Amino acid sequence: MTLKITNILVLFMVWSFAQIVFAQEPTNHSLDSQKIKGVRQLPYPSYTGFPFLTDTWRLGKIEFTNGEISDSLYLRYSSFKDELIYYNKAITTQINIDKASLNGFVFTDSDGRNRVFRKQYFDNFMKGDRFFEILSTGETSLLAYRKVSLTTTPAYNDERGILKNMIYDPDYQFYFYSPEKGYTLVRINQASLLSKFDKLSLKPIKKLLRKSKIKIGGEEIFIQAWQAIEKEGYKVVF
Amino acid sequence: MKQKIIFILLIVTAISGNAQNKKGFAFFTDRDVYVSGETLLAKIYNPTDNSSRIVYMDLVNPSGTRISGASIEIKNNEADGFLQLPDSLSTGAYMLRVYSKNTAEKLKTIREIWISNRFEGLEKTKQLKRITKTEEIQEENTRQINIEGIDPKYPTNSRVAANIRIDGNLLKEIDGNLLVSVAQTDPSFKSESFIWTYDQGKEGLTEKKGIILSGTIIDKKTSFPASGATVYLTIPDSLPGFQYYQTQNDGRFYFQMDKYYGSIQAFVQCFGNTPTQRLKINMDELFAEPGTLPEYSEWPISEEFKSNSIRNMDAVTFQKIFDQNTLKFEATPMKTHDDYPYYGNPTNIVDPQLFIDLPNFTEISRELLPGVRFRNYNNEPTLQVINAATRSYFTELPLILIDGIPIRNLNAIKDMGTKDIRRVDICQSERYYGNLRFPGIVALYTTKADYSHIPDSDQFIRLKLETTQIQAKLAEPDKSEPDVPDLRQVFYWNPSVEPQESLSIKISTSSILGQFSLVVRGRLKNGSLISAKKQFEVK
Repeated sequence: MTLKITNILVLFMVWSFAQIVFAQEPTNHSLDSQKIKGVRQLPYPSYTGFPFLTDTWRLGKIEFTNGEISDSLYLRYSSFKDELIYYNKAITTQINIDKASLNGFVFTDSDGRNRVFRKQYFDNFMKGDRFFEILSTGETSLLAYRKVSLTTTPAYNDERGILKNMIYDPDYQFYFYSPEKGYTLVRINQASLLSKFDKLSLKPIKKLLRKSKIKIGGEEIFIQAWQAIEKEGYKVVF
Repeated sequence: MKQKIIFILLIVTAISGNAQNKKGFAFFTDRDVYVSGETLLAKIYNPTDNSSRIVYMDLVNPSGTRISGASIEIKNNEADGFLQLPDSLSTGAYMLRVYSKNTAEKLKTIREIWISNRFEGLEKTKQLKRITKTEEIQEENTRQINIEGIDPKYPTNSRVAANIRIDGNLLKEIDGNLLVSVAQTDPSFKSESFIWTYDQGKEGLTEKKGIILSGTIIDKKTSFPASGATVYLTIPDSLPGFQYYQTQNDGRFYFQMDKYYGSIQAFVQCFGNTPTQRLKINMDELFAEPGTLPEYSEWPISEEFKSNSIRNMDAVTFQKIFDQNTLKFEATPMKTHDDYPYYGNPTNIVDPQLFIDLPNFTEISRELLPGVRFRNYNNEPTLQVINAATRSYFTELPLILIDGIPIRNLNAIKDMGTKDIRRVDICQSERYYGNLRFPGIVALYTTKADYSHIPDSDQFIRLKLETTQIQAKLAEPDKSEPDVPDLRQVFYWNPSVEPQESLSIKISTSSILGQFSLVVRGRLKNGSLISAKKQFEVK
């Protein structure tokens, strides 16, 4: 009998606590989140190569121009069109998010790496807003424009036997960027990196890379080399 | 076992007791006696456990009817606002109430004030109505705040310099800003603030970010809440503001109004799952219901009160004639405007007025609007927009907007000619806004922009909303016209004085005679209220 009373009392206690904590608090997340604006994503023509940066939808978040964040979205960056696509689960639709409404986006890649993209105005050839991947931040940032171009090739038969003469061809471009000085193109090799510094700095930079056992052979080592040089205070000549 | 039961009972009692033992808003006004047409200034200290960002201040008559009010933003647990007292108020006692909506603790703070109608006077008034004392909010008169340099008497239009010294120990205990005011007082009518409990509490969301507009969608056929209905809120502007909400089983909808300040026009619409579903919008009351009212007792009216009131009525009338402003408004906080409309950047923008006069929308669509097909066969209009990506027409009705407000009845636009339309935005793509899909968009902006083309129905409500109040401060006396008498009854009002050991206040008296008080008010970290007062007379 007493056990029953105790159980009733415990239930009453839990109920009264819940009343105090949750009184008048129906939650609704849709109130807080800004709505995503965009157009339906139409399939790209099928050619050899791949128009997207990632093979699959990646979980990530976007930042709107007013600073608001919308997270837990399935994102995919189209390197071909420089567009961000998200999958709207509620209406099972792939939506191409308006670039004008975004500041940038972040997603976690299959290797667990957070990849950060920022929308910036590119004022050189082919002016306009572009999504740049931030490889390194600082007074001078190292940015990557993950572009895939559609280029003409000798005619070939695709897997269904259809004759085609175009391929998706990765054409990644890397830039040093400073808000005051703008962009300067750099290629992923030692010669191109060294060409971005004044003559007096070249010798000590080479020595630094040698001492740090950095031999530029790919993107990751290039970032490492730039970070080591930047740490020593050498400035890029724009 | 008995001990265990007693222990559990004690915990339950402690929890429920704790829920009740909370303090309400501390609420102060510049004066206690006003004349209709004047502006009332208010300072509110928010209870620390209130997570709402909005506090409501309502002017209520003794029968409980809300006359006017303001929604004031709470910043750092404090809110500073004002209330324009309508010119039409009849002479008598009124109640001010402050509260936040949907807080777990249902407390209001009420304060009585007297308002004399400046046309009616006090001739018919034989007695003063006063609230019978209830749970009064205690304020401790502290000696740790010294007001120095105030003489007992000053002539009219003279300079007054006061120094406020605050004890170092008290300084450490003060929570937030101090309120410093110098205003006319009437010894025969001193009002107090009381705690008043809500009797009816509405379900809803706590306004943590700003005002929330809410309501319920009812299915007219079943009279039950409609599930799955889409509710639109449009706020017309150069770029129309738009929000939507899809109802659940309870039919409820909520809209966040945190980006809006001052008076705005809003349109609420709902659309059912099928075109034949008939719905009705029931908006929630924006303000607290009267509930139970305090009891009033009658007090004799003194001659001093009468003469002061008559003098003030004349002063206010004079101020109105010379258009003397009490308040100086601060700039509206910058809204985070979108760069383009919610329906996307238009594919085409057409200005029909640049072309030859066309009598109806069929002609306009045929001659001027690329990718828009409007037909009116047998008086059954249809509208389609081309999908530029697929080069085919959408089979569904596009999103049609008149001055930013969505419509679905094409009869509203069929007779619109070039003279009626200022601009047409067309989006020739399948647009998305959150979970909403728009198969093309045709946005018409009319020359009149008066929303007269929008058909009225139970599924459409026009609202004039007073959103978050724009901040204002007491205007400096205008010295540019020395011949115009200075008739201020409030010489100084600063609700955001940062506590310091020494504060100097410089004011000038006006042409108004009577008793005035310099009052310093504040709140301590333990929640208790403190004040210091110094009275002087202007002769």
